[in-house]
Amino acid sequence: MLSRIADSLYWLHRYMERADGMLRLMHTSYILSFDKVQASSMSWEPSLRIFTTLPKEEIDRIKKDNAAVLHYLFLETKNQNSLKVIITKARENARGVQDQITKEVWEQVNLLYHQINKPGLKEKLAGPEAIRTIDSFIKSSDQFCGITDSTMPRGQGWNYMNLGKYTERCLMTTEFTHFYFKKLDFDLKDEQDIIFWRSLLLSLSGYELHLKNYSNLKHNYNVLQQLAFDKNFPRAIYYSLDRANRYLTEIAGSNPVEGSIKLLRTYGRLYSSVKFADIELVEREGLEKYLIYVRKELNEFSQDLGRIYFSYS
Amino acid sequence: MTGESLFNQYPISSHIWDEMKGTEGIRHQYHSIYEACQKLNLDEFLQKHQLAAELFMSQGITFTVYSENEGIERIFPFDIIPRIITGAEWDHIEKGIKQRLSALNLFLKDIYNEQQIVKDGIIPADLIASCPHFTREVFGIQVPFDIYVHIAGIDLIRGEDGTFYILEDNLRTPSGVSYMLENREVTKRIFPNLLGDSNVRMINNYPLLLHDNLVSFAPRQIANPTVVLLTPGIYNSAYFEHTFLARQMGVQLVEGRDLLVNDHKVYMKTTAGLRQVDVIYRRIDDEFLDPLVFRPDSALGVPGLISAYRKGNVAIINALGNGVADDKAVYAYVPAMIKYYLNEEIILPNIPTYHMNNVEERNFVFENMHKMVVKETNQSGGYGMVMGNSASEEALKKAKENILANPRNFIAQPIIQLSTVPCLIDGKLQPRHVDLRPYALCGPNGISIVPGGLTRVALREGSLVVNSSQGGGSKDTWIVD
Repeated sequence: MLSRIADSLYWLHRYMERADGMLRLMHTSYILSFDKVQASSMSWEPSLRIFTTLPKEEIDRIKKDNAAVLHYLFLETKNQNSLKVIITKARENARGVQDQITKEVWEQVNLLYHQINKPGLKEKLAGPEAIRTIDSFIKSSDQFCGITDSTMPRGQGWNYMNLGKYTERCLMTTEFTHFYFKKLDFDLKDEQDIIFWRSLLLSLSGYELHLKNYSNLKHNYNVLQQLAFDKNFPRAIYYSLDRANRYLTEIAGSNPVEGSIKLLRTYGRLYSSVKFADIELVEREGLEKYLIYVRKELNEFSQDLGRIYFSYS
Repeated sequence: MTGESLFNQYPISSHIWDEMKGTEGIRHQYHSIYEACQKLNLDEFLQKHQLAAELFMSQGITFTVYSENEGIERIFPFDIIPRIITGAEWDHIEKGIKQRLSALNLFLKDIYNEQQIVKDGIIPADLIASCPHFTREVFGIQVPFDIYVHIAGIDLIRGEDGTFYILEDNLRTPSGVSYMLENREVTKRIFPNLLGDSNVRMINNYPLLLHDNLVSFAPRQIANPTVVLLTPGIYNSAYFEHTFLARQMGVQLVEGRDLLVNDHKVYMKTTAGLRQVDVIYRRIDDEFLDPLVFRPDSALGVPGLISAYRKGNVAIINALGNGVADDKAVYAYVPAMIKYYLNEEIILPNIPTYHMNNVEERNFVFENMHKMVVKETNQSGGYGMVMGNSASEEALKKAKENILANPRNFIAQPIIQLSTVPCLIDGKLQPRHVDLRPYALCGPNGISIVPGGLTRVALREGSLVVNSSQGGGSKDTWIVD
């Protein structure tokens, strides 16, 4: 596989995963923005803080204005991380590798691109149709996952795609977790009720699982357990790293080039630090430090991966 | 309005050949579509039109206009009524193109080696020497099977009496074949039964023929030579076609930055290291291919590529330097080439062409400017063209000045009223002018042409310019038996 192609496939899926995560968070935030309970005071804050680089004053200024926020997150091209920019980048990557992805996958990315460029979207987001519009994007994103899964051949390309997807997913879950726990200064003993955690869990599609699997006590510990270590929760940090590990092992196994052993070793260290950790250890070491460590290692891994497998220019 | 009245109200003009309707009514090759359309009403036609546009859009058969962080997608206009040519007419076209390409290949071999045709005085030396696409850098390079033009797109037009003429030869990187193939796929969806019932010759094996052809030029005698398609990248307007062909052939689509040359061999950079490349189907112009030989500022090409080509370690398709053979001034000598190399009379005639560096011809053209089209010899895509019948006096004066400043750069031809076909425009069938570009493949086992080609339509009323860059559209082209 051409290095350039591998690079594009990796980034295609990173962008698509990011779009997916953003959409889910926006969906939750939008609905919660109508609730007059304590947790909703954050409403758009997580979306704006995690996905944009707006200064605090600007966030405080617009965070109560649904239409303005949705416009900025969805369509503002000055926002380098708006959905429109991300989908455009995903499509650029897909376009450059059109012969390496299936026609169905390409058409789905293309459909999303036309969906976000459709005239009248701005007005829809500002009016009563906003939630339906967000839903339709989530549906398209789900379809992308399904189509990719059911049509893409399992091979090199598949491995790079999924490595990108799970890297991005792990980073997002880490980011989200970091944001919410920061509200309690990373103090697991500062007990919060489920309403506080609900928006986080909903944004990660993990609320139902939480209700089913976890007791009604010690929410802070339970939420952290689920988001970091639950091996059955597809957006857990451990789950994402575990998947990424599988695809990375295949890549390094079939393409043993200079540096691939070292890359495996670096990744293995990060993976073990999640696989063999537990809540007690994390609490003892400090949750903030732990989350920052995961994020930093993962970003460095992504750079190393690029240097070893994608360097073509 | 019903389909029947749509067809019956279709106007024809006495001095223009219409493909569908003659003085005796609908031509027999159009009967099947006429009958099928009779039952439809206008809304159904418009629905089909809409469906076709959506199909092109959703598949990304578009070109993009970029502005900050976002792009605007446009499709090439497609008209749903197919253009139909009879099997007998096609067989004549096929013979003519084969003859022409055989001569042009011999000409290219000759001109980059012995230059007998110049020495024998058939073609003036200054015409060749002054051709901007005559490429001295490839003089003497031996190409596999002496084939220079592997893929050709020959533009044909039809005059008022129905005769096919050769309008121009495209021997460098002719594009549009993906539209020929996609137009057919779209027609299959909007007129599902009609194609089968009408006995239309098949074209969808083109990518397979192309692939076989490319593989046959591999210099290494190995079972699975590596064939790549070299594209300038996603910002190129023909990028869709590049991905389409790569996908249909199952070959790698590469950019210049994916390749490198080491020890006169070409490699591509893969995640598993370097892999040698045998055949490059390039969709990049000559002057961008190798910054060491041609334009040093080109970032699209591969440094050292020509050295590998000269050594015969890689086949480049089409060969470099072909521009000398599709130069618009050299075009006029193709009948003489056919006589000289093949000792045959030309089957598909040329359009009379006046050279502007010949004083007598130039004066004749200047006197009859309103009946002439003036073209720049090294331009394509409909750029640099002045239509004498529609240009303003000022534009004509400017054209004359340009010609006098650099006569070798221009030719003139009498304006031929291209044939018309019915197009669905504003809820009516209206005649619009068309040309035809069949695609020919030259390989070691001869020349093959898929039956059909790209019919390009000038969508503006009365316009004779069919190029997509000048507001042209396209149609599916049927060869029926």
